[in-house]
Amino acid sequence: MQMRPEIQIKSVLKAMVDVVIPALDPDNQLAQEQIKLCMGLLDLLSRQLPLQFRFDCDELARLRSMGAELLPLADPHSTDAAARQALTDALKVSDDVLRRAKADPSEVVSSVRALRAATGELVKQACATGQRSDTARLENLVLEHSRDQLLRDRTWLLPQGWERDPAKFPPIDTLIPSV
Amino acid sequence: MLAIDKNKPSPEWIESLRERFPIEAEIDRILTRRLKRRAGPSYAPLTLESMIEGVRALIRSDHSGPFEITQAKWLTGGASKLQMSFVLDWQRPGVGHELTRMVLRMEPSESIVETSRLREFQLIRAVQDVVPVPPVFWCDSTGEFLPYPALIYGFAQGVTKPTTSASGVSGLGTQLSKTLRDALFPQFIDSLARIHNFDYHNADLSAFEVPEPGTQCALWSINWWERVWEEDCDEDVPLMRLAAAWLRRNLPVLESPGLVHADYRVGNFLFTEADSRISAWLDWELGRIGDPHQDLAWTTNPAFGVRDESGQMLVCGLAPEAEFFAAYEKASGRQVNPKTLHWYKVLNAYSIITLTLATGYRIARNGKTHQDVLVTWLVGIAPMLLDDMRELIAQGD
Repeated sequence: MQMRPEIQIKSVLKAMVDVVIPALDPDNQLAQEQIKLCMGLLDLLSRQLPLQFRFDCDELARLRSMGAELLPLADPHSTDAAARQALTDALKVSDDVLRRAKADPSEVVSSVRALRAATGELVKQACATGQRSDTARLENLVLEHSRDQLLRDRTWLLPQGWERDPAKFPPIDTLIPSV
Repeated sequence: MLAIDKNKPSPEWIESLRERFPIEAEIDRILTRRLKRRAGPSYAPLTLESMIEGVRALIRSDHSGPFEITQAKWLTGGASKLQMSFVLDWQRPGVGHELTRMVLRMEPSESIVETSRLREFQLIRAVQDVVPVPPVFWCDSTGEFLPYPALIYGFAQGVTKPTTSASGVSGLGTQLSKTLRDALFPQFIDSLARIHNFDYHNADLSAFEVPEPGTQCALWSINWWERVWEEDCDEDVPLMRLAAAWLRRNLPVLESPGLVHADYRVGNFLFTEADSRISAWLDWELGRIGDPHQDLAWTTNPAFGVRDESGQMLVCGLAPEAEFFAAYEKASGRQVNPKTLHWYKVLNAYSIITLTLATGYRIARNGKTHQDVLVTWLVGIAPMLLDDMRELIAQGD
C-alpha cells in the first residue's frame, strides 16, 4: 500500500505552508491561531506515527511490570478481591498481547516492501524470456493474488470516492483478519 | 543487488536507464533532465511578479515592439502544470494593435506527467488549420526565461461542460443532453479523423520521430512508461512487472502511422454554448506520431463514459461504443483492429498507473510541485486502475 500516512501528512503540510496560510486573512486571529495548531498537530503526528506502536508496547510492558510487582503488595484488608482479580486478569491479557506483539509495524512494512521487490524482480525475469505457455501458471498466480490484494486496497481507499460501484465492496474489517 | 536512491539518482543509474529503454530523443531529453535535477531543491511558490518578469523576457526575445502585460492572475485546473492568465497589450504581427488574452503554461520542478513544452508547442501550431486549437505564441523550451519550461498560448472561448451541469474532475462524468450530444458527436469524430490523417511530413515537428514500420512504435511506448516506472516507483508491484512483460510479448505491428493526441476525451475540448461548436482542442502534451489505436483505446475508456437516459453507456458521454467505432471508421477510412485496440488499452492503463502511483508518489515525496497534496490524493486511484488492468490482461493476449 503506497498511500501511507507519511506521504499524506507531508503533502498536507506543504499545501498549508505554500498555499493556505499565505491566503489567510491576517486580521482573522482565530483562523491564524487555529492554522498554527493544525500545523503543530500534523507535525506532531508525523513524528509520533512511526514510533507510536513501539511507544505503546513500551508503556504496556512498564505497566505490566509495575502491576505484577504491585499485586502482592496490595493488602487484602484494604483492597477488595474484585479489584485484585481485575488487575490479575489484565496482567494475563497484557502478557498475551506482549508475547504476540513482537514485530514493530515498521518491520512489517519493510518486509512487505522487500517481498514486493523480490517478487517483482522474479516475475520480471521469469516473464522476460519465456513464452506465455511456459509461464502461464506463474502469471495466473500473480493475477489471482493481485485480484485478492487489490480488493483490499480498493476497499481501504473507498472513502476517497473513486469507485464506480462502492456498494459492491464489503467492510474492510471483514477482509483483514485480526492478528 | 545494489540499492538505488531514486531521490538522488547517480549518473551511472541514469545512463543505464537511457540504455535499457530506447525512446524518442526529445522524450529522453526531458526524462534525463528531470532525473539530473531531482536531487535539487523542492518547488517553492512563485510570485505573480516573477512570472510576469519571465513572460516579459520571453516575449522581448522574439518581439521587438512595445507591449504591456496586464490583468495577470493564477488559474486553477489540472494536476500537472502552473497556469497564469494575462492580457497582452501589443502590436500583433499581421493584425495591429490588440489586447490579447493569453495563458502561460509552465511546468513545476517535476510534473506528474513529464512532457516536452517544445513538442506541445510544435504540435498545436502544426494542427492549427486542421482542428480548432488555441493559438500558440511563444515557447521557453528549456526554462531560459522562466523558472521552468513554459509556453504561451491564446485564450480560447468555450466551456468543457454545460454551465448548468454537474460533473467530476476535468469535466469527467458530464451529463450532456441529447441535443448537445447530437451536435458535438459528429465534430468529435471529425476532429479525431482529421488528427489521425494529418499529413505531418511537411510540418515543423522536429521534436518528434516517426516510428519505423513494424513494432517500433509499440516498443517506444512501453519503453517510455516502463522507464518512468523504474525511475519513480517506490513500492514494487508484481502486477506491473507482469504487465510490462505482457506488453512486450504482444507488441502490435503499426499498420499506418498517424498523429495521436493521446488525451482525446470529454473535458479536453471547449465548445461554445450558443452554437454547440467545438472551439478548441486542449492538452496536447502527450501527443506523438504513432498508432491511432492509442487514442481509440483512451477515448473509449469506461472512466470517461457516461450513461444516457436509458442506462446505455456512451463513449465520453456522446455515443454508444459501436456507433463511435463505426463513425470513426467511416470518417477516417481506417480500420479498427480489436487486438491492437486491446493492447493499447493495457498500455494506457499501465501509463496512467505509472503516473498516479509512481510519479505521483515520487514528486510529492520530494516536494516538487505546486500541488503535492493533489498528486498525493491521486495516488489513491491506482488500486482501481490496477484492477482494471488486471482484468484486461486476464482476458488474454
